[in-house]
Amino acid sequence: MSTNETKPVELKLYKAHEKVYPRETKGRFQFKRKLAVFVLLGLFYFLPWLDWGGHQAVLFDLPARRFYIFGITLWPQDFIFLALMLIIAAFSLFFFTALAGRLWCGFACPQTVWTEVFIWMEQLTEGNRNKRMKLDKGPWNFNKIWRKTAKQAMWITFALWTGFTFVGFFTPIKELAVGVWTWNLGPWETFWMFFYGFATYGNAGFLREQVCLYMCPYARFQGAMFDKETLIISYDVARGEPRMRGKTRREAENPGDCIDCTMCVQVCPTGIDIRDGLQYECIACAACIDACDEVMETVGLPKGLIRYTTENSLAGKESRVFRPRIIIYGIILTLLLSAFGYALFSRSTIDANVIPDRNSFYRIVDAKRIENVYNLKIMNKGPVTAQYQVTATGLDGLKVDFETEDGLTAEPGELISVPIRIRADRAVANKKIHTIKVIVNEVDNPNNSSTETVKYFGYDK
Amino acid sequence: MPTQPITANKDFNERQIKRIFYRRLGIAIWVSFLVAAVQSVVFFAQFDPAYLNEIASITISIGRWQGYALGFVFFWGFNFITGLFCGVIMAMPRTKLAQRTAHK
Ligand code: SF4
Ligand code: SF4
Repeated sequence: MSTNETKPVELKLYKAHEKVYPRETKGRFQFKRKLAVFVLLGLFYFLPWLDWGGHQAVLFDLPARRFYIFGITLWPQDFIFLALMLIIAAFSLFFFTALAGRLWCGFACPQTVWTEVFIWMEQLTEGNRNKRMKLDKGPWNFNKIWRKTAKQAMWITFALWTGFTFVGFFTPIKELAVGVWTWNLGPWETFWMFFYGFATYGNAGFLREQVCLYMCPYARFQGAMFDKETLIISYDVARGEPRMRGKTRREAENPGDCIDCTMCVQVCPTGIDIRDGLQYECIACAACIDACDEVMETVGLPKGLIRYTTENSLAGKESRVFRPRIIIYGIILTLLLSAFGYALFSRSTIDANVIPDRNSFYRIVDAKRIENVYNLKIMNKGPVTAQYQVTATGLDGLKVDFETEDGLTAEPGELISVPIRIRADRAVANKKIHTIKVIVNEVDNPNNSSTETVKYFGYDK
Repeated sequence: MPTQPITANKDFNERQIKRIFYRRLGIAIWVSFLVAAVQSVVFFAQFDPAYLNEIASITISIGRWQGYALGFVFFWGFNFITGLFCGVIMAMPRTKLAQRTAHK
């Protein structure tokens, strides 16, 4: 091994993981992020406690197979809405990623949001970045033990509360609270509570940026949605370089605007240096923008050395954020959203099924009339008890008859089944097979209806 | 993860091979978990486990919760096997090759 070339090189397949100690920042973007944390987590922790029309406002009742979302009740038959929602979610992701990169990562991803809270607790108990680093290096003395214990206690309590709230979206949370209080929980509830709590604790407390780096599927394909007009967080190389600090800087003739204070590196939750260019690790949290703006203000240089900008404008080209791609995505998204809203609010809460009686074609009632027999099934998908009426069209003088004690009434979620007879004049129903429509509607709200098309056997002798 | 240098690097050792294996195992577990979650949502939105239990040829009676859980575990297991096969077939020859040529 005489030359460098023949020397075996240690190939680093894996970087040894180094703990990142993000420094705390303030600024306009950090304010927005905090706001996002409060709104999103506020909704998460508060919603299950809210009641709406006699039930929990948001409840995904899996055992009963129905979802309550405020005044709306969804059943498995409403699968289309779930599918639509997934498509809308996918399109929003395309739209926002093409517009401004990883907005989702920086502001809305549960991983980021919960990590923020966990870091906040860490700061509360262990102090700021320097103190935390020192504490970790230092010996296990009383100070370290009690600070670490306090942190763990806060983390674990918060994680368990999170697990409890999570299960509260699937089991009525007030019953769940009683169950916890009286130490009387089902195995599933217990399992999911601890599972979700543990996942929160591990992801937000320890794995943190590693989830984004190694586990997140979105992080892997988001690059494909970027183009040269996507707003990304970047360092203005032309303006910043040559970076210099201290004495060199004072003596230099033409220093760049970067004073090389490494603030942007210290605040970064994924531990990268944005000055090296756009990197896959960057979750677009904009902490470095805020940090650098503050530095620039102190040294009296214009802000925005690190800022949201596009690749084209960094290269000095003309840049247009509202390009065809964004407009097309935007239009598709708006259309999908309106379709979804319209479909949701105009949907019928009646699920009706008309099944012909298999044993007979038609029955002769008297010299003038015949009848066909069907089995009518109605499911009430609405939130309140409703009464229904049935009519038939498609042939002149169709008459629907059924025998029940209290009319066609169904409670929310109830499925009723009644045999019905539809009578017609022989003279009118004179072909072998006719097609008729059976309409079921609510007595109090005739617009809420469901129409079924069925065959009608006529008298063709 | 670059796979090419594995064969090129002579100092590629036992420990690293193990780490690659465990990493791929981890990936298979994690990805199959994610996909199983989506599959369960889509599948059980369409099929009621209680109904499936009624028409199934086995006669053990299971409730809805158990049905969901079983379905999820089932999906997870199968996806995991798929992932593991992919990982093994994709990687093993190269790492073995690396092992064999390690101390030439
Ligand atoms: S480089 Fe800046 S925006 Fe990206 S993750 Fe780090 S601090 Fe956040
Ligand atoms: S915060 Fe700004 S001035 Fe400080 S090192 Fe980073 S880019 Fe340079």
